[in-house]
Parts: sequence; C-alpha cells; structure tokens
Amino acid sequence: MNLDQAQRDRYREFSDFVNDNVTPYAGDWDLHQQMPRDVIRAIGREGYFGAIVPEALGGKAWDFVTFGLLNEAFGRGSSSLTVLFTVQNMVATCLLKWASAKQVAKWIPPMAKGDIVASFALTEPNVGSDIQSIGTQFESHGDMLVLNGTKRWITFAGIADIYLVFGKLNGRPIACVVEKDMPGVEVTPIRDMLGFKACHLAQLDFHDVQIPAANVIGKAGFALSHIAPLGLHYGRLSTAFSSVGLIRAAMETSIKRASTRVVSHATLNNISSIRAVITEMGISYDTSLMMCLNAATAEDNRSLQAIEKTILAKYVASRNAVSAASQAVVISGAHGCHEESSPTARFYRDAKIMEIIEGTTQVLQNVLGNYYVNRAEPLVLN
Amino acid sequence: METLADFDVKTSVRKFITKSIGIGDIRDDEDLFDSGIVNSLFSIQLVTFIEKSFGLEITQDDLDMDNFKSVDAVCNFVRRKQGK
Ligand SMILES: Cc1cc2nc3c(=O)[nH]c(=O)nc-3n(C[C@H](O)[C@H](O)[C@H](O)COP(=O)(O)OP(=O)(O)OC[C@H]3O[C@@H](n4cnc5c(N)ncnc54)[C@H](O)[C@@H]3O)c2cc1C
Repeated sequence: MNLDQAQRDRYREFSDFVNDNVTPYAGDWDLHQQMPRDVIRAIGREGYFGAIVPEALGGKAWDFVTFGLLNEAFGRGSSSLTVLFTVQNMVATCLLKWASAKQVAKWIPPMAKGDIVASFALTEPNVGSDIQSIGTQFESHGDMLVLNGTKRWITFAGIADIYLVFGKLNGRPIACVVEKDMPGVEVTPIRDMLGFKACHLAQLDFHDVQIPAANVIGKAGFALSHIAPLGLHYGRLSTAFSSVGLIRAAMETSIKRASTRVVSHATLNNISSIRAVITEMGISYDTSLMMCLNAATAEDNRSLQAIEKTILAKYVASRNAVSAASQAVVISGAHGCHEESSPTARFYRDAKIMEIIEGTTQVLQNVLGNYYVNRAEPLVLN
Repeated sequence: METLADFDVKTSVRKFITKSIGIGDIRDDEDLFDSGIVNSLFSIQLVTFIEKSFGLEITQDDLDMDNFKSVDAVCNFVRRKQGK
C-alpha cells in the first residue's frame, strides 16, 4: 500500500502527539476510569475531531486513509481515547449526510473543535445486535417530541453534551439529537467494565424529555435503515484501525520485553517459539492494516463495496487484536499480568471489546456470509 | 415511450439491485422492503449507488420510500432528480 507524502507526514504528526500526550498516561486513565478534559481539549486544538469534516465547517477534510491512520496512531496509545474518535465521527457522519443545513451549522463546527462531545445512543438494556427491535419511544405533541426510554452501554455518554438517540415514533424509526441539559435526562455512569475503562460509559434514562421537532435528523421511518447503519459503518472503520493500533502496541511491547528479559543466559528473542509468536503478531499487524487501508481507500473512492470491505477489516483486525494481546501477555509472563508493570493486561482487556462494538464478530460474520454466498466472489478486488 | 437513456437507467438499477440481493427474478414494481428481501446494508448502499452512478446528491428531503422501494421507484426518482 502506498501512502502519499501528506499521509505519511500526518501519521508521523499523530504518532508524535500520542507519544507525548497519550501513551504515558493511558494506564492511569484506565486505572481511574476517567478521561481528562485536558487531553480532549488538546486533541480539539489540533483539529483531529474534525478530520473528515469539510473545511467550511471547521474541519480538516482529510481523506479516509488519513482518518484511519489517526485511529491507528491513537489506538496504539489508548483504546479508551480512540473510541472518542469513533463515536464523535459516527454522529458527525450521520449529521453531515442526513441533517438539515441549519442543524449541521449548529452542531458540526463545535464537534469538530471538540467543544461538544457527542454520543451515539442506539443500544438498550434489552436490545443490542437486533437494532430493529429498539423500544425507546418518541411521541409527537405539536412541534415538540416527548421521549421516554433507556439507552445502555453508551460510550462517552458520561461526559457528552449531546446524544444522537434512536427510537420509534408511532412505530417508525426516528433519530433525534438530545441535549444533556434537557429536563428529564438522567445520566448514570457505568464503571468496572472489562475494557475501555476510561471511555465514560453510561446509561441514559429519558423521562418525558421534551425535544423540539427541529432536533429530528432526517425523517421518521429512516433512522434504522439510512441513519444508524451509516454511523455504524464509519464506527467500524474507526474501530478496525484502532484494533490495528492495539496490535502494534502489543507487538512493540512484546519485542521490547523479549529483547531484554534474560532466561537461561539468553534473551527471550533467541528462543524460536517466542520468535514465532512475534512473527505471528507482525503478520497479524500487516494483514489487518492492509485490509483497513483497502477499506479506507474504498471509502475514499466511494466504492459500492466500501461497507463490506470495512466489515471485513473490522472482523479481521478485532480478532487479530484479541490474539495478539493474548500472546503479548504470555510473552511478558507475570510482569504482563500486572497493570502497573506492563500495559499488556490493558491491551488484553481492551481487545475483547473490539469484537463486540459496532457489530459483534458473529453478526459481522452473518453479513459477510450474505456477501460471499450471494455473490460467490471475493471482496478485495471489487 | 421509453427512451434509450431510460433504458440505461433501468438496466443499471436492475443490475445493482439484483446483484445486491442475490435474486435475479424480481419484478420491476416489486416492493423490495415490504417483501423483506433486502438486508440491513442495502438502503445505504442504494444511496451510494444512485449518487455515484447518476451524479446526484440524495438529502433528507429525498427520504421517501416511494423513491427507493422498487426498481421502478428508483428509476422514476433518478429521472425526476435528473430533470431538475
Ligand atoms: C465498551 C462498550 C461500548 C459500547 N458503546 C456503545 C455506544 O456508544 N452506543 C451504542 O449504541 N452501543 C454501545 N455498545 C453496545 C454494543 O453495540 C452492543 O453491546 C453490541 O451491539 C452487542 O449487543 P448486546 O451486547 O446486546 O449483545 P446481544 O445482541 O445480546 O448478543 C449476545 C451474543 O449473541 C450473538 N448474536 C446476537 N445476534 C446474533 C445473530 N443475528 N447471529 C449470530 N449471533 C448473534 C452476539 O454475537 C453475542 O455473542 C457498547 C458496548 C460496549 C461493551
């Protein structure tokens, strides 16, 4: 894969930012289960939240390959932080495509600067993968809507300013921007998850929340066919690249440990079985990254197969992240099992989450099955 | 009367839809959404297909099932948008 000079330069810039502002602190954020506003503000100043936002709206208008590299570079430092790019862009892409010019002008510029944090509120206590079954209810009262329901496992909802909430209005799927200060919005943080511990996961309860009809995105009837799937698609692209960053972190940590840890008068990296494990990590990294770049390039070309290619990339990269992180713990031994001694335990915990968000491995496998079985042709050259 | 341009639109729309759903024998007026034969990604892929193939931009104002529900519906929508 050939990156152009601008893409390479930006990737170096992202990596430098992560080395200085993310990697040294990611373990602490995880331990304390919080993401400091300062780092969010610092990212906002660099303009990274507006990576794919048009320049006229205060964004960088970068291509999707560059957006992917941003997620890879941050994914190497902190999955909890990178998932902020994921959800912020899930909401931004839905608004950019389906919101009115007025709505876009209101929300996108502050989101691009990081002044507003947005959450994507789809999952409910009783409904995850099967999104068509969501039960959150909107009722129409004149030019207001009244919202009741519960959203659970919502990334960054603990500190978000707005939420893109999916529900039904007279049985028709609808998406609406809900603001955190609206009366009747209750935010309950969810702590002690397996991974992504610093991503301010929360439950949102809506009790008769009154929302201006002007906050409806698109039209009733289209939220689960045209809006949510679009956000989930870009979320998968972000998560796929973030998984690749995690594989790199696991690999680098393992290589470093293997070159310094002495067993029986020689360093670990002289043992052929350890070399084989590290080789597997390298192969995982390169194959996952190739698939991600193939998906991002498809997105840049507006290929009709961009969605399936992204699903393929997310499926492969998230599974590879799980195995690479698992091997990284093994190579580091007891040291790798101790949170204060090594980041590998965090990588291991975070990696498993990659397989669940934006479509679990099984759900994505079903979609890929539809593609391969119906088309009877491979994906990459399409 | 169906012009040559109309014929091209219908051919490419039919080709895209039948390929996406993996079923060749659909009627031009068959409601794809009612019959439940489309999968969850079809709607957004159809949007990309229409925008890319015919150089159109679909916005929230176009969100109407009558524009997307069948081969005929998509063809009429494309012709209407192109006529604007
Ligand atoms: C850290 C974290 C952050 C999250 N952030 C968000 C967020 O910001 N916004 C949001 O809306 N949601 C969020 N989620 C929720 C996430 O999207 C769901 O957990 C996910 O969609 C799976 O749904 P579920 O947990 O209800 O599992 P279920 O849907 O109950 O699935 C349980 C099991 O059944 C399998 N399964 C389900 N359906 C099928 C099928 N059709 N075929 C085969 N197997 C199937 C699944 O693979 C899984 O193994 C987050 C979750 C986590 C853990």
